[in-house]
Amino acid sequence: MKKIIALLLVLVLTLGCFAACKKGDSDKTVVTIVVAGQFGDRSFYDQSKLGGERLAKDFADQVEVKYIECNNEGWTMQMKNAADKSNIVICVGYEFEEIEKVAPDYPDVNFIWIDNATYEPIKNLLNITYAQNEGSFLAGYIAAAMSKTGTVGAVGGADDITINDFIVGYKQGAEYYDPSIKVEINYANSWDDPAKGKDCANVLHDRGADVIFQVASKAGDGVFEAAQEGGFYAIGVDSDQKYINDDVIICSMQKEVGKSIYDAVKKLLSGDKSQLGTTWVADMSNGYIGIGYGEAGAKQQIPDDIKAKVDELAAKIASGEIKVNTTR
Amino acid sequence: MNEFTWTNFAKIASSTLSQMLGTATPVALAALGGLMTEHAGIMNIGMDGMILMGAFVAAAVSYYLASAALGILAAMVFGIVIGLFFALFTVKLRSDEFIIGCALNTFAMGITAYLSRSLFGSDGIRGAAYLHNIHIPLIKDIPFLDNVISGHSLFVYLTWVLVILMWLFVYRTPTGFWIRASGESPETLRTAGKDPEKMKWVASILCGVFCGLAGAHLSLGKLNGTFVEGMSDSRGYIAFACVIFGAAHPGKVYLAALMFGFFSALGLQLQGIISSDLTEAIPYVITIIMMVYVVVSGQRRREHLAKQQLKKLELK
Repeated sequence: MKKIIALLLVLVLTLGCFAACKKGDSDKTVVTIVVAGQFGDRSFYDQSKLGGERLAKDFADQVEVKYIECNNEGWTMQMKNAADKSNIVICVGYEFEEIEKVAPDYPDVNFIWIDNATYEPIKNLLNITYAQNEGSFLAGYIAAAMSKTGTVGAVGGADDITINDFIVGYKQGAEYYDPSIKVEINYANSWDDPAKGKDCANVLHDRGADVIFQVASKAGDGVFEAAQEGGFYAIGVDSDQKYINDDVIICSMQKEVGKSIYDAVKKLLSGDKSQLGTTWVADMSNGYIGIGYGEAGAKQQIPDDIKAKVDELAAKIASGEIKVNTTR
Repeated sequence: MNEFTWTNFAKIASSTLSQMLGTATPVALAALGGLMTEHAGIMNIGMDGMILMGAFVAAAVSYYLASAALGILAAMVFGIVIGLFFALFTVKLRSDEFIIGCALNTFAMGITAYLSRSLFGSDGIRGAAYLHNIHIPLIKDIPFLDNVISGHSLFVYLTWVLVILMWLFVYRTPTGFWIRASGESPETLRTAGKDPEKMKWVASILCGVFCGLAGAHLSLGKLNGTFVEGMSDSRGYIAFACVIFGAAHPGKVYLAALMFGFFSALGLQLQGIISSDLTEAIPYVITIIMMVYVVVSGQRRREHLAKQQLKKLELK
């Protein structure tokens, strides 16, 4: 008797699973945002979530937005899970290299890959990359202009191609302001260890850097703390991070991930599929990259004449007059 | 890189040594707890999870009650609970220590992420009350030492005291003796009329408390009241390695942690010259080399002893 009951229970549970697995409301477009890491970085991933929330709000009767966090593992599996149950899959993070193999297996699903591009165009996939080097150029310019010691620093999360794209732009921008400036770089080799980020920033500060640009996700929190304690300036990344600590964060290099996701999905929803199969570079000329100085009322450290110069440079970069180095 | 001058060198040396102390402290605190369980014969790889939970509890309580001291206290109390939990499975229910340790680490990742998000949103905790760095009056005026020793959080100095207390406890008190016996020879201890299981419970609880302290140091001492998911960043495993090659002796374990701290600090300094991927590996490579050294030298010593015993017998 016990066995039969047990079997029945197992059956109910399995069926329950299947019942839960159906493809959502059939009349709604299911958009799934798959992030490579975790939300809570107050920059890159959280930006994509904001984009998703905006979509869910503005197109409430058309779309259903879901989120998957990979916690830095099992990217391919999560991507497939998402593709099984949605109409549009947005993969946020350069780590989803396997998308090249996965996307052709799901011809009915539209994929958007954020922050990287496939080697060959795939007809149901839109790549969105960001010209972070252009924004970082401006960040570097500001850093050099604000530095009193003639040394500026940058803390990267890892020594890889995307992060170095920030770094080369930053370096070039700093040297554009003052060719004799020293740019000191450190990598935390971690995305979620603020203690390590703090150590990195302190090492740079000991070498004389008095403005430090963080490109290290949650580990970058430590850079802001080190700046607070050591009395130097920091520059935020990806989203406008000024709100975290407006005493030390003088500005942020903004990468409008959320806005680009919103705009790309909006286009798809309207039936315009011309972007699929291409790589779209969101850069300064189309307004997805820029410098943020915080919300109104935030404490400002950068004098207006530097801000004006930065706007001028931004226009030059957008028009192609200044060519910014890149690692891509 | 800067040109070489002695002032520069002194500056870099002092900042490296100062970072060594800062980096070593959370590892050392956890290792002090880990050596208790090691003596009691429990292989404890769950320390990483204990640190993470300690960090969360400390930051959360300190955030709500606006008191770093209460946060630390809460982390210690929570450490007791985790220690009890760990002992329940490993000692009372005799489950596999390795599995329970792994489970504890995974559980810690999940529960802290869940609680932190449901209570504080996806931002994690920020701006909780924290311990301010201490500038020691006399040392503050000595140029080189000031940078190295002064200006750390209270935990760095507390650890020095705890190392000594721990040594006294393990090697100079009856309870310490019983705990060691419960690991080395539980039957003998039982014959002597003491319950080895009880000793293991005590060791496990102490381990929880120390790991809680390590976590509290991470979120409230080293950082200014910040918690982010996964911030323990494998320090528990490093602590375990320190316990092993410090042979579970408090002083040696602390030295091992210092060595780890020194090489990670050195790695950060060397990044200008060597690729950061390599510098990141330095502490771990050194750990392996030390491990081999400890094992080999231990074997040599035993061989040497055995040979001397043989010689004595032959002489007779």
